[in-house]
Amino acid sequence: MDDRLRETLSAMMDDEADELSVRRLLSHSRQDEVCDQWQRWQQVRGLMHKNHSLAEGVDVSGAVREVLDGRPRRISESDPAEPRSAARWQWPAVAMVTMALLVGFGAGAGWESADTKADTTVASAEPNNSAAEQPVDEVALQGLDQEQWEHMSRYLLEHAQHNSVGAGRGSVGYARLVSATGSGY
Amino acid sequence: MAAAALVLLVASPLAAREPGQASQWLERLGPALNMTSYRGVFVYARGDRVHSMRIAHRFVDGMVHERLVLQDGGDGEIVRKGMNVVCVLPQQGEVRLDQVIPSGPFAEAYANELVPVSRWYKAELVGEDRVAGYDSVIIALTAKDPHRYNHRLWLEKTSGLLVKSHVGEPGGKVLENFQFTSLEITDDLAESEFEIQTKGREVTHNLDDVPAPQPVQSSVMNGWDLGWRPPGFVPAAAPRSGPGRAVAFSDGVAAFSVFVELEGAVRMPVGASRIGATTVYMRELDAGNARFLVTVVGEVPPTTARKVAESVRVDDALALHSDDS
Repeated sequence: MDDRLRETLSAMMDDEADELSVRRLLSHSRQDEVCDQWQRWQQVRGLMHKNHSLAEGVDVSGAVREVLDGRPRRISESDPAEPRSAARWQWPAVAMVTMALLVGFGAGAGWESADTKADTTVASAEPNNSAAEQPVDEVALQGLDQEQWEHMSRYLLEHAQHNSVGAGRGSVGYARLVSATGSGY
Repeated sequence: MAAAALVLLVASPLAAREPGQASQWLERLGPALNMTSYRGVFVYARGDRVHSMRIAHRFVDGMVHERLVLQDGGDGEIVRKGMNVVCVLPQQGEVRLDQVIPSGPFAEAYANELVPVSRWYKAELVGEDRVAGYDSVIIALTAKDPHRYNHRLWLEKTSGLLVKSHVGEPGGKVLENFQFTSLEITDDLAESEFEIQTKGREVTHNLDDVPAPQPVQSSVMNGWDLGWRPPGFVPAAAPRSGPGRAVAFSDGVAAFSVFVELEGAVRMPVGASRIGATTVYMRELDAGNARFLVTVVGEVPPTTARKVAESVRVDDALALHSDDS
């Protein structure tokens, strides 16, 4: 997935994607990647807004494509966000709701706790890797309470600071700092 | 998926995969970061988070002037003139930047240490690319051991400015992504571009004036020591930052910080967590009559963070104890 598609996805998160971009996204050859990225972002958003988990892992691209084409969707009564008027339809508001509902706000976090296995992969790719004989247990940070999160954040920020000023990494370090602060935790 | 994009980007390797050339570029990186004048917008993504910031940067009379404005989330900006930092902070967010900004003094740049980088990374000039309208060269830093991540740096051709970077796993998965989306390298920057414009609570800090980074020895680790650290990582900053007893270590490219604190009222879970390329590893350590929390934060693989954390020895629990109480 290239940066432009990523931008489109990001814009969709913010209700700002234009139709052309969305079509391009939907015609992307690796729909699984697109869905994957979308879901991960939705999970973050879900977490930020403290939403509860709905259905996860549903592919809504077909439904969205139909909406874009102005065709009536074959959907169940239970879909509350079905756009009634395709003509006056605006991409963001309606489809976003549909998509969000279908994809579901996962209980995941920006923290890649789901990536535990990746560590093992890294390790096994390297021969003679004594440092990585066993996979590292990962902590599900979404379970942290407020105090714990603050405590953890302080470490993150101090480290980011070391990087920005100390490492001379300039803006990269600052960006890490901002990224660590986030805007919704 | 980003890895796939990465592969595509570098699919046209230059004939010259000269390590010598790569290190020449790397030597320019440090000075270029400080001494280039530019304005632009960059995007920073790690894990699931994407942020963009607008930046203006110039180098006047030996001082860095820099202004960063958050482009999403709450209003906020950071203006830095030399060692003077002023932040206007977003109202949202549970952790305030002012808790951590006054953490000086720090070594201005251990980017100098990029020179021996070739000992720990294989540096290659792997191609050319265009980033934010500027021709750039791509330098791949491939870790020679499993203790660190791979890096890929895009340096603008005339200035050597870092315009894009990836931090990734050996397998090719990109964990962290920094990139200018618009950039103008110019000396024509008005004074006003370096002035606070957001209204809000201002926090001013002076990073203490420390003229040169002193070679920091193990004495900075007051009361504790590392039994192991990945080869090439050296102490990089004095541990005066805030209440934590942090010591930063860097191999010239990546860095991690180690915190050793008396366990307070807040009980933390132990284990590793990751966001993008950043790992946090926490463990508890009993020493003397006290229990300590050891935390390692850095752009290193979880296995490295764990090994570092597990090697922490508290030499003089009492000293640490009495200082804190």
